[in-house]
Amino acid sequence: MENLNTKIEEIIILGIETSCDETSVAVVKNGKYLLSNIIASQMKFHQKYGGVVPEIASRKHMEFIMITCKEALNKAGLKINDIDAIAVVPGPGLKGSLLVGLSFAKAIAFALKKPLIGVNHIEGHIYANFLNQHNIKAPFISLIVSGGHTSLILVNRVGEYEVIGRTRDDAAGEVFDKIAKYLGYHYPGGPIIEKLAETGKSDAIDFPRPLLNSKDFDFSFSGLKTSVIYFIMKERDNGNQVHINDVCASFQKAIIDILKYKTFAAARYYNISTILLGGGVAANEKLRREFIENKPNENYKICYPPKELCTDNAAMVASAGYFKMKQGITDSYNLEVFTK
Amino acid sequence: MNVLGIDTATRVLNLAIVNNSEIVVDYKLNLSEKTHSATILPALDGMLNLVGIELKDINGIAVSIGPGSFTGLRIGLATAKGLAFALSTPIVGVNSLESYAYRWLSLSGILCPLIEARKGEYYFIVYYSEKNQLNVIKEYQCAGWDRISQELLKHKGNIFVFGEGVSSLLVNEKIKQYKKPTRINFIANKQGIANAAQIALLGEKKILNQQVDDLDRLSPFYISKSAAEIVKEKN
Repeated sequence: MENLNTKIEEIIILGIETSCDETSVAVVKNGKYLLSNIIASQMKFHQKYGGVVPEIASRKHMEFIMITCKEALNKAGLKINDIDAIAVVPGPGLKGSLLVGLSFAKAIAFALKKPLIGVNHIEGHIYANFLNQHNIKAPFISLIVSGGHTSLILVNRVGEYEVIGRTRDDAAGEVFDKIAKYLGYHYPGGPIIEKLAETGKSDAIDFPRPLLNSKDFDFSFSGLKTSVIYFIMKERDNGNQVHINDVCASFQKAIIDILKYKTFAAARYYNISTILLGGGVAANEKLRREFIENKPNENYKICYPPKELCTDNAAMVASAGYFKMKQGITDSYNLEVFTK
Repeated sequence: MNVLGIDTATRVLNLAIVNNSEIVVDYKLNLSEKTHSATILPALDGMLNLVGIELKDINGIAVSIGPGSFTGLRIGLATAKGLAFALSTPIVGVNSLESYAYRWLSLSGILCPLIEARKGEYYFIVYYSEKNQLNVIKEYQCAGWDRISQELLKHKGNIFVFGEGVSSLLVNEKIKQYKKPTRINFIANKQGIANAAQIALLGEKKILNQQVDDLDRLSPFYISKSAAEIVKEKN
């Protein structure tokens, strides 16, 4: 293993992410400079099942991993021997999917005798912000919100995370997916709901905002989901025409209100002024605008990654890997996958 | 030529190195409390140290592609791909059933390697073996013993059934091996369920014949589609 105490000018990290239904490999320099980020999406293979089928995902990762890796290196103009370390997601995610990326990553690190750095998938989403914002300083609070996660994380320094809030039931993105599915749309539901909401009135229906006044920073979205679906059902039963655009706009407003309220409440409580958004739902334009334009005061610094780095990708993993390696955090070859 | 063999198709983790048709090392771990994912590289590291071979001296990689545990197979194959890519060596995927037949190549007659599948079924293939040559007479399939035995008895001569699935076949089908003379001979060998050495030997032969696989596309041998796909097609 290389001596990490010596000053190294340039560190090139290969990032690998296979936790769900995207096979992604990226090359990042010094944690900030994106050299390549290849994402092989399996979405079309899962869409007809209305969600991700774990066995199909595992099979597709095996088919895509090698070619995705080669393409990432090609695009970066590098050979595998030019890589200084390998960062990979051991979890959380689907076991079979994670195992493909982790086994592949470990073998490369072992064969090249390079450091291996395990990056928690949620940790990766936080560091997606570092790829376009070059002067983020801890401490900060990160809201990671996707189809699988809704968490508020307090970061005092790299590698030290405190989950200060999490969803008690559905993830926010999951609720977008489920409502879209109920309306007859394909997974993923986020972009469809966002599109429909554009031409709807967000104050048309007053959907509940569960746990808004709870003392902690936890979330709950299943009650909101039920009331949206129940509302549509009831209107249809009563023979009323349902204004889907209004429903989507009002639902989206409710979910953004909850996310925003809880995040700024946590920031106030912990006296933190930097807030980082991440995860697939952070690609929602309305959510991004709300956090920036309607923040409680001007002292808050709000960061979010470019949209393509909000969804699952390996660039964020490589970036996180760099910052962890600089702190001297690496893993051994018996690194195991974890699902939760 | 040093060829590394990897077999993670069963619960036994098996790594081997062969050199010019000789087995250099055959390394097996049967650790139910640890996963293949956690042990495969530490085991490889230990084995290489033990025999004094460096990774850079590995000239080819042969890996079991199943049939077998999907999870196990994917760990083995993803590891093999990473190694082959980083070391720039050729890769060969070897079907486990073929590797079992290769082990019993000296027998003449009908050879039927078996691997236990789910729901009382077995993956199998039928070969006619003569003068150390294997000729496929029934391609890879999955079926219950009734159908397999019917198929086997269609053919003349001695029949040999072996492989990972035999032990459980004898129990499940209540077959008494020495009860009466029959043309079907069962070879139950618990030590033989993981087969990295044979896989490496077969791999070395294939590499020398330039029958290498495409690193990008090599996948496990699943035989069947995933359960979700089967259900979807029925509807």
